[in-house]
Amino acid sequence: MPLARAIECTIMPSGAVRHDFQYATPAYQSQTAVAGMWLFLATEVLFFGGLILSWIYSRHWNPAGFDRGSQRASLAAGTVNTAILVTSSFAYALGLLRIREGDARGLVRCCAATLALGLAFLAVKFGIEWPDDFRRHLFPSDPDFGVQGPQQGGARLFYVFYFWGTGLHGLHMIIGVALLLWIMHRTRRGDFSKRYHTPVLVVGLYWSFVDIVWLTLYPLIYLIGRSA
Amino acid sequence: MSARRLVMAWLGLMALGAAELAASFLPLPHAWRPLIIAPGVLMILIVAVTFMEVTEGPTIVRAFALAALFWLFILLALGAADPLTRTDYPTPQARVAPPAGA
Repeated sequence: MPLARAIECTIMPSGAVRHDFQYATPAYQSQTAVAGMWLFLATEVLFFGGLILSWIYSRHWNPAGFDRGSQRASLAAGTVNTAILVTSSFAYALGLLRIREGDARGLVRCCAATLALGLAFLAVKFGIEWPDDFRRHLFPSDPDFGVQGPQQGGARLFYVFYFWGTGLHGLHMIIGVALLLWIMHRTRRGDFSKRYHTPVLVVGLYWSFVDIVWLTLYPLIYLIGRSA
Repeated sequence: MSARRLVMAWLGLMALGAAELAASFLPLPHAWRPLIIAPGVLMILIVAVTFMEVTEGPTIVRAFALAALFWLFILLALGAADPLTRTDYPTPQARVAPPAGA
């Protein structure tokens, strides 16, 4: 069953919420959807866990090369993006608060703010930072790689981690942006109310998780090797 | 969850982010540098508790969250066991020849 269908209830003309037959109550159906998203996020933790393990393993054998690579990464872009993403999660949490009070317009406004911040993150990452990395020959397979000398091999490994980490995270962000558009569309259509807003809750969990992934990548990429 | 609590969480996150950034400029010994991530761990906790409401959902949610952390620990601990405990012995070719006349 697709996720969108699994978390679906039907709002009756009277305002009552009708649940699917296999659930005893609408609340039970909502809790099941939330638990399902958490289970999915648990698999995502292990997915990104492999990436973190690759960082531990590669940095252990190439500490100086990783530090050189980290020092070439754009600290300003990473820091600005951290502030943007943290603020976007805050904006979405405010939207959830609004719909819990029955304010659907407030939810749309908060979703729009979250969407704008998410797009700003993607613009900084893929519109400014990555092109700048390419210009400075920091792609790991570049024959004129931007770090020369004995640390070149380690720095190339660092940038393998960098592009995989930020690329996979960016892919999750793009999926999150699509989910935000879906929530905004359904909110405008009048699907959500004070009594029923489970998809808003579930998408918020996903968005905050993507925030957490970035809060993990940020120090690994930009900070730990900075002053080494 | 109140708006005031969300604002406090956001302010806390920004402050911890600034602390993490400042810590990255400290001249720490190489082995200690991963400790720079400590404020980041607190930030993750704040996001999980306030924005994701992990403590307020059904019990199964906390079970899934704890299971994720447990298996992440197993993955990282077992995966990092070899590089963090292996002893390297130099090969004869890697040994530096003693200076002449020594």
